[in-house]
Amino acid sequence: MNLRMVGCTHRATGVDVRQQLAFGENQVGDALDRWRERFPQAELVLLSTCNRVELYAGGPSESACPASDDLVDALLGYHRVPAERVAGQVMTLAQREAVAHLYRVAASLDSMVVGEPQILAQVKQAYQRAAELGSAGPVMHELFQSALRAARRVHHETELHKHRVSIPSVAIADFASRVFERFDDKHVLVLGAGKMADETLRYLRDAGARRIFVVNRSEERARQLAASCGGKAVPWSDLWRQLVAADLVVSTTAADQPVVTAAAFDEHVAPHRQQRPLFILDLAVPRDFEPAIGERLSVYLYSLDDLAAACELNRQSRVRELPAAERIVLAETDAFIADAHRRAAAPVITGLRRNLEEPKLAELERLFKKLPDLDERAKSEITQFADRLVNKLLHPPLESLRDASLEGPPQGLLDALKRLFRLED
Amino acid sequence: MDSGVNMLCFTASFAVALALEIAGLWTRPRWRRLAVVFAAVAGIVAHTWYLGVRAGTSPWAPLSSPHDWYLAAAWALAVIYVPVVLYQPRTATGIFLLPVMLALIGVAYGASRDPIPTFAAPRFWGMVHGVFLMLGTVAVLLGFVAGVMYLIQSYRLKSKAPLSQTLRLPSLEWLERVNTRSLGAAAVLVAVGFFTGILTRLATVEGEVPWTDPVVLSLSGMLSWLVGAEAFRLAYPAARRGRKVAYLTLAGFVFLVFTLATFARHDTVHGGSEGRGARSEEKSEAARLLPFAPRSSLLASRPPSAEAAP
Repeated sequence: MNLRMVGCTHRATGVDVRQQLAFGENQVGDALDRWRERFPQAELVLLSTCNRVELYAGGPSESACPASDDLVDALLGYHRVPAERVAGQVMTLAQREAVAHLYRVAASLDSMVVGEPQILAQVKQAYQRAAELGSAGPVMHELFQSALRAARRVHHETELHKHRVSIPSVAIADFASRVFERFDDKHVLVLGAGKMADETLRYLRDAGARRIFVVNRSEERARQLAASCGGKAVPWSDLWRQLVAADLVVSTTAADQPVVTAAAFDEHVAPHRQQRPLFILDLAVPRDFEPAIGERLSVYLYSLDDLAAACELNRQSRVRELPAAERIVLAETDAFIADAHRRAAAPVITGLRRNLEEPKLAELERLFKKLPDLDERAKSEITQFADRLVNKLLHPPLESLRDASLEGPPQGLLDALKRLFRLED
Repeated sequence: MDSGVNMLCFTASFAVALALEIAGLWTRPRWRRLAVVFAAVAGIVAHTWYLGVRAGTSPWAPLSSPHDWYLAAAWALAVIYVPVVLYQPRTATGIFLLPVMLALIGVAYGASRDPIPTFAAPRFWGMVHGVFLMLGTVAVLLGFVAGVMYLIQSYRLKSKAPLSQTLRLPSLEWLERVNTRSLGAAAVLVAVGFFTGILTRLATVEGEVPWTDPVVLSLSGMLSWLVGAEAFRLAYPAARRGRKVAYLTLAGFVFLVFTLATFARHDTVHGGSEGRGARSEEKSEAARLLPFAPRSSLLASRPPSAEAAP
């Protein structure tokens, strides 16, 4: 089995180059078709995300797998990017390194935000796409299935994915869910219509939030955001009434002064809430809610700084899990490579067995003709004796092959066996 | 006991469940939650067996002695604990609930096993009195546990402490719901238990209630508090939410502790604890006056003069 990977990732390549080399949804199929014409014997999978563009190639023999330079040429050629433009920024890996890299990518150890869960789905999708287009065969199947298995092991056997690191996910999963048991009956109020509000609403929708109200100075923006999340836009003048009714507030206005002061909260909101819990995510810079509001009874106010501190702690927790995750990747890589080496020895083993089986059958036939008086029981005993003898003769060389496969491709041993037993044909 | 099941069996099971819950603060292997449920269920089976055997062999069990009464309350808490573990699998609820259960079992161990020598009364009403007060106690204890967890969770959220993967607590909304329902249920259950005791007492030969008795007095205080707290909660909307309900249930627990302390005294109308080695003549005298014993066994053991006994 021969494997190669060429591509660029966020680690070594700037975003401008990555953007130039990125493949849109419609381009992936076209690119794979073109490359299959150029490398008809190779199996190919293309993984293109915001942070990486990687082309995996493989084949059962060395001649079937294109050289790294050819793969780089194909990758750059599709976008007509000159080689000088990406000098030193394109990564080329082969065999064991390519396998380990894919495992680390799938397990999200190579991601910009280590442990983020989307990459596994993207890897799976890239393989499925290639399989549907016919550019991935048994070699890529083995490689990607084992990569998904390694990623699942990292997911289940470490706590890498348990610590959330994005602000909206920490806000909802780590804090809001400690206040509320469910979100489908909660009144969610969004102040402003910034990008962060959009992202937070996605998490809230996933958590079950349905009663979403958007208040923004620009009613048009409020309507747009409300439409995108199945909510309702309400006029800015309704702000105090909405704050009285709200259970959870997400605030992301661009105001340069606090939108809700402590005095205004005490006057317009607190007396009407009867100390009902209010969870406020103030994601605006500068803040929309005066910090003193967080000291009011049953009010839980979180600013960007509070959430960023929690994210940083989670990030450190993930870093602590990295060694365990890397150990899993290493073990899985070793297992895959050993399997690949064993598979490389399979034709020799088959030939070896055939070389002994054929004379065995011929000799048994000759013997039974010479001794026609043998009954069925005696014939069966003799046949079993011959089988045991062949197996015992085969055992030492097969064991040696297995042991040698653990350390690397047992090419020397295979060649010796081929010559000794005349297996060339 | 003859069956081979003794208090050590279920105490050990619940202690193992608690040890596993505490171990979860450091490490949380996959099998831990299953082991906790297994230990708790094993404890409940042994506990049920123990109470069943006592009910079968002792005419005054399962609620007529302080020992049985405390054990029945602990059993009710254990039965509540298992569904809570299954419903809130990632939370450390057991760290708060199991010590309360074990404390009840510990108190039961030291409590008198003699029947409560109260007053001659029909067995049914005696049982109603005992069962409702026991369930009221369970409700107050549940409210207390939920209240403590609420205050801890609220404090952690106010201080913006990051999510702990080990000491996870249920959401404030869930804890508040448990708190509110416990308070309401405790008020109703204790009221029914208290008034059935009063009415039963009035229906006896003596026909009067010993209002100055420490148990009656402290129970009246607890009932007044629970009813008052529930009325306050219903009338004042702010008291229906958040920390106020938690404080109300915590205060209810203080009243409960005071009541149980008086219940343990032996100079009250409910008799009480004299340790495990009560004299046999006292036992038979208690059995003679027993309100909860089966009528047949009571009649069988009652001498002719018992008709006029107080």
